[in-house]
Amino acid sequence: MLKGVQIAGQLVFDPLRRLLDRGFGHRLNPLNFLGALTIYFFWIVLVSGIWLFIFFKTSVAGAYESVEYLTHEQWYLGGVMRSLHRYASDAAIITLALHMIKEFLYDRHRGNRWFSWVTGVPLLWLVIPLGITGYWLVWDQLAWYVALTSAELLDWLPIFSESMARNFLSDEVLSDRFFTLMAFLHLIGLPLFLVFGIWLHVLRINGPRINPPRALMAGSLIAMTVLSVAYPALSQGEVDMTTVPSSLGLDWYYLLVYPLMKHWSPGWVWGLLTGTSLLLFVAPWMPAQRNRASAIVDLDNCNGCARCADDCPFGAITMMERSDGKAYETEAVVDPALCMSCGICTGSCPTATPFRRHSVLSPGIDSPDMTAAALREKLLEDSDKLEGTHRIIVFSCRDHAQSARLKSRLDDAQTMTVAIICAGQLPPPFIDFALSRDLADGVVLAGCPGGDCQYRLGADWTALRVARQRDPHLRKRVESNRVALGWQEPWSACGDVSGIVAALRESLPVGTGGTAGIPSSRRNPWRVPVTAFVYVAFAVMVGWLSVWPRFQLIDEGNAMISLSFSYAGQRIRECRQLTQEELNRLAPNMRKPQDCPRERLPIRVVLSSNGDTLYEDIKRPTGLWKDGSANIYKRLTVAGRSQKLFIGMNESGQSPEFDFVLEQEVDLAPGEHLVVEFDDIQKSFVFKQD
Amino acid sequence: MPLLQWKSAYSLGIPSVDHEHRELIGMINEVYDHMEDAADPVAIESCLEDIYASIASHFALEERHMREARYTEYDAHKDEHENLLDQLLEMMDEFADDPQSGRETLRKSLADWFGIHFATFDARLHESLGDHHG
Ligand code: HEM
Ligand code: SF4
Ligand code: SF4
Ligand SMILES: [Fe+2]
Ligand SMILES: [Fe+2]
Repeated sequence: MLKGVQIAGQLVFDPLRRLLDRGFGHRLNPLNFLGALTIYFFWIVLVSGIWLFIFFKTSVAGAYESVEYLTHEQWYLGGVMRSLHRYASDAAIITLALHMIKEFLYDRHRGNRWFSWVTGVPLLWLVIPLGITGYWLVWDQLAWYVALTSAELLDWLPIFSESMARNFLSDEVLSDRFFTLMAFLHLIGLPLFLVFGIWLHVLRINGPRINPPRALMAGSLIAMTVLSVAYPALSQGEVDMTTVPSSLGLDWYYLLVYPLMKHWSPGWVWGLLTGTSLLLFVAPWMPAQRNRASAIVDLDNCNGCARCADDCPFGAITMMERSDGKAYETEAVVDPALCMSCGICTGSCPTATPFRRHSVLSPGIDSPDMTAAALREKLLEDSDKLEGTHRIIVFSCRDHAQSARLKSRLDDAQTMTVAIICAGQLPPPFIDFALSRDLADGVVLAGCPGGDCQYRLGADWTALRVARQRDPHLRKRVESNRVALGWQEPWSACGDVSGIVAALRESLPVGTGGTAGIPSSRRNPWRVPVTAFVYVAFAVMVGWLSVWPRFQLIDEGNAMISLSFSYAGQRIRECRQLTQEELNRLAPNMRKPQDCPRERLPIRVVLSSNGDTLYEDIKRPTGLWKDGSANIYKRLTVAGRSQKLFIGMNESGQSPEFDFVLEQEVDLAPGEHLVVEFDDIQKSFVFKQD
Repeated sequence: MPLLQWKSAYSLGIPSVDHEHRELIGMINEVYDHMEDAADPVAIESCLEDIYASIASHFALEERHMREARYTEYDAHKDEHENLLDQLLEMMDEFADDPQSGRETLRKSLADWFGIHFATFDARLHESLGDHHG
């Protein structure tokens, strides 16, 4: 099931990766830096946000004006900053979503990697509210809609006894209190948690890619700036709660679920959100990854050089105080709860050399699933069958789907593929061994396509080791034109692994003059068109979904009625006068002449227009003892025309007669917002209209 | 009388590195013993292979200590380590191809191969680290 979903998803994702590889190459492929790009967009958000904050007035009255000032008077800087702030936030959601989808599709969320996944989920609950509170602060019509709908959502939770949404129905009751709270959350609270959350998210990873490559930073900053100038972010009209905008430009990246509130009860929306989150939380165990044996340290062959600890992509190795009494300071210790069994540590261990004909090959650190000794055996045995002077051994990563296909496609009398866990598992002396002991004439290391290593760093370390830039170096005597990496740039002359094998074979035997291994990369004719297309498409997508498609709040020609009041219903029975005898039996300080029950009855409310019932409900009193008021809050859409409105309430919930009634001809213009309240002093309903 | 001899003056003050130096001296002496015995090539070969593995990890450890001490001559010292590994492999190859001449080369060069590095690069490292490590 999981596998099926992943394979189907990869069918969509792989072409996208190949397209981007065409233009950017895998060193700059944005899909290899999605987490880092998300962080980078947050940096843009932070810097532009500081500029906005300098000019922002934190009050209901001042907010809109101050943002308008930035947008229009100071468009060349403030306006651009505002747009950058919005668009970078939107871009972060795109990269964040792709990041998550990619980790899932390529199965990088299970096993001991669960920690990164599970700490990723709460980040969603920080980032999305960060955007929501941001939209709130602008205090335009969209902000009003966001405030009202958020309040309706929060009101559903049994946290506040007062209705919050009531604050956003008319200007009179709106105070700066909420505003200050939102500003605090948006400017300080949520960002602080986010920074902490991201720190935790990458805590277990060794050398997380926090910054994308410079070229990507520059490219995406330019793309976002051009978008900001060409298509500035604008406010959507000043708030006037006596009217309702019929449609709004919605930022779908952050406000995706808000339109659901038009048709769903808040309970369902919460259900959807918590359900999705729970599903995400348990995803690493659906199903759990089969346990694989973690790397094992052989103290007799470990002198504590720490190379393996430097190279482990998952921070699973720590150098600890020596435990066996030998004259070494430290030893490598593997934490099985972190180890992903990738074998990259074996590739880095200096004792993992196959040049041992007579003593046992036991590296300081080894993978029980596929030991270095077994690998050596396999090499020696199988290479025996290779014939000719153009023999090539291909080391391919076991965990990549490509590996199985490679074997059947490539293996012949001159070619043999050897599956290893990860290209990084192969200690460079093995390459030397294969060539110098004449097991083969050329070696190809076929990693995951696009250099996107399943184990994060295996491909990088391998390339550096072969280039003699990272320990352990490939020995100098290995002619570099006998060794080829499988993850060539797509514009290289040989394309995929079989092309590379063919090209390498063509260039053999080496040393007879003029042969130069596989041909070096050609110029990439796709670079400019593809990168330009990707940046433009990205900017268009960011700008587009940040306001389009417009959300129809109420249909054209309609008006809105909000019903909002609290009322304490009748007590369940009448108060009873106590008799003198009963009074005497009570302690003197408890003597009250009446015995009143605390519990109240529910109230019934009906609202109709021209005789059609639009709303009817029975509301129970609030409070643990059912002694509080009942809260009525309902938004209704009605035709915008003159109509006879009727509202009735029955304070004891039972009898069909109403205790309070208001019936009145009301002329509702399209787009008008009428609030129905209950005046507690006058004990009567009021229609509050402009 | 062994060819190379450990002296306490060689001590770097890093117990693990000193220990390995001592061990390596022992291993090199052992190869010479085998050559004197005119023992079969297999014994010499396996000694050389063990030396290769040991010295590769010895260099790795020494390099770790140099990096941690921010040793200023790290790059040159590290290059020399890489050269020494290349040279040892060459000697091993020669011995495998032609034990007769290989043995001669070993007899002439093996002690110097390690001894000179030990007396120059490692000694300089000792001067520079000595103070910190007592
Ligand atoms: C604010 C949002 C996020 C940011 C800034 C972020 C950033 C990062 C970074 C920088 C890495 C390290 C990548 C590397 O160097 O290989 C990473 C890894 C990871 N992220 Fe996120 N991430 C975010 C949200 C999420 C979410 C929502 C999920 C999934 C629910 C997720 C799942 C993962 C996983 C599974 C890894 C580990 C990959 C591995 O072990 O190779 N992340 N993230
Ligand atoms: S790389 Fe090998 S020798 Fe070095 S610390 Fe790790 S296990 Fe020990
Ligand atoms: S197998 Fe991979 S994850 Fe496990 S300790 Fe070695 S390098 Fe780290
Ligand atoms: Fe040295
Ligand atoms: Fe040394």
